[in-house]
Amino acid sequence: MPRTYLPILLLTVLSGCATTQNPDDPYEDFNRAMYDFNQGVDDYVAEPVTSAYQWVTPDFMQTGVSNFFNNLKGLNTVVNSVLQGKWQNSASATGRLAVNSVIGLGGLFDVATPMGLEVDEEDFDQTLGVWGIDTGDYLVLPLFGPTTTRGIPGTVFDTAMNPATYIGVIPLQVMQVIDARHQADGALNFVNEAALDPYIFTREAYLQWRDNLVRDGQAPPAEHTLDLYDEALFEEDFQD
Amino acid sequence: MFRQFLILISCLVMLTSPAWAETSPREVVEQFQEALLTSMRQGDKLSFQARYDQLRSAVSESHDLAKIARIVVGRTWQELSPEQQQQLVETFSRLSIASYANNFKSYSGESFAFKRQETTPRGGVVIHTQLQIPNDDTVNFDYMLKETGGRWQIINIIANGVSDLALKRSEYTAILNRDDFATLIAKMQEKIALYSQE
Repeated sequence: MPRTYLPILLLTVLSGCATTQNPDDPYEDFNRAMYDFNQGVDDYVAEPVTSAYQWVTPDFMQTGVSNFFNNLKGLNTVVNSVLQGKWQNSASATGRLAVNSVIGLGGLFDVATPMGLEVDEEDFDQTLGVWGIDTGDYLVLPLFGPTTTRGIPGTVFDTAMNPATYIGVIPLQVMQVIDARHQADGALNFVNEAALDPYIFTREAYLQWRDNLVRDGQAPPAEHTLDLYDEALFEEDFQD
Repeated sequence: MFRQFLILISCLVMLTSPAWAETSPREVVEQFQEALLTSMRQGDKLSFQARYDQLRSAVSESHDLAKIARIVVGRTWQELSPEQQQQLVETFSRLSIASYANNFKSYSGESFAFKRQETTPRGGVVIHTQLQIPNDDTVNFDYMLKETGGRWQIINIIANGVSDLALKRSEYTAILNRDDFATLIAKMQEKIALYSQE
């Protein structure tokens, strides 16, 4: 993906979009088009490749590969925990990274979790959220999938913080993409099976999930739920 | 014919079940979770229909399906005819039970743990629980309950911060805005049919 052209492409396409009803998704027409495009890529390329990978590779190797790439993301959690002032999480993440990299043979084995070294994953988008920057508008990027306007600098930072980015071996980058698709397999199947409108299902679930990560799952769900009601229905629902 | 008989039986069973007024919100949630675990444990031995029949009363007694169906269509509810409202509630109930019967059919040592209970400003109750999965991350399940007619029932489930009610509401209102009521019902029936294929 020639990432340099992406902002230009985006600006050109976004400026031509009509506004729609959902305030979080002003570029819905563009996003839906990209969603369909990604779905096409997934149907014809990513899904078959992932299926083949799952078919030829033993389960323990798939787990090892996932562990390896997840471990590389550990550095990002260390840095972003510091940026968010979460010293405890940063210390645990450092321990986790060290243990898995050394005892876990470069991250192939996740020995930290059974040891009780569990951490909240932190990334730069969450850091921006903790710093008070608004989520921004929902965007679906070609090949990357769902994100928000705040998520773009987030992803750039996260990519820069991932050691895999600097290893100039193409098979490793390819493997990273296949592993990401492999790890998302269950969720993607669930969306296709459960959603009446997969685009909206994905959008709502993504925005709520990111929001929850920024709040570290701490916000009172009751307040959150109450927001859902239209004023009229709200009154009606709570008077009876 | 057999179907009608089953519905009749389940109505009779409901009439004779113990007074719900005595069931606390926490018990409502725990009984429902127990029913899910039972369905999971027996999953591979039972057909979809058998799991559906088994979960029907557990889901419809613990959830206020009529209220949920009304909330997920938003303001459109007032524009629907009484027949359409009834059709929506019935289809929604069948879809909810079918999706549980489809998703809770295999067991690998999962268990639910109660964490805490909180009362909302408007008299609702939220039961915080965790689904513990061996060798995997735990999933937070928060159940929001309201009391109607002396009986506590679930109106929303929030899984790892993702609200089921909000998700459905966005989907359903979008379909109603873009298409119409008949399309919504058709899409729901399509899902029920998909779930019932093993």
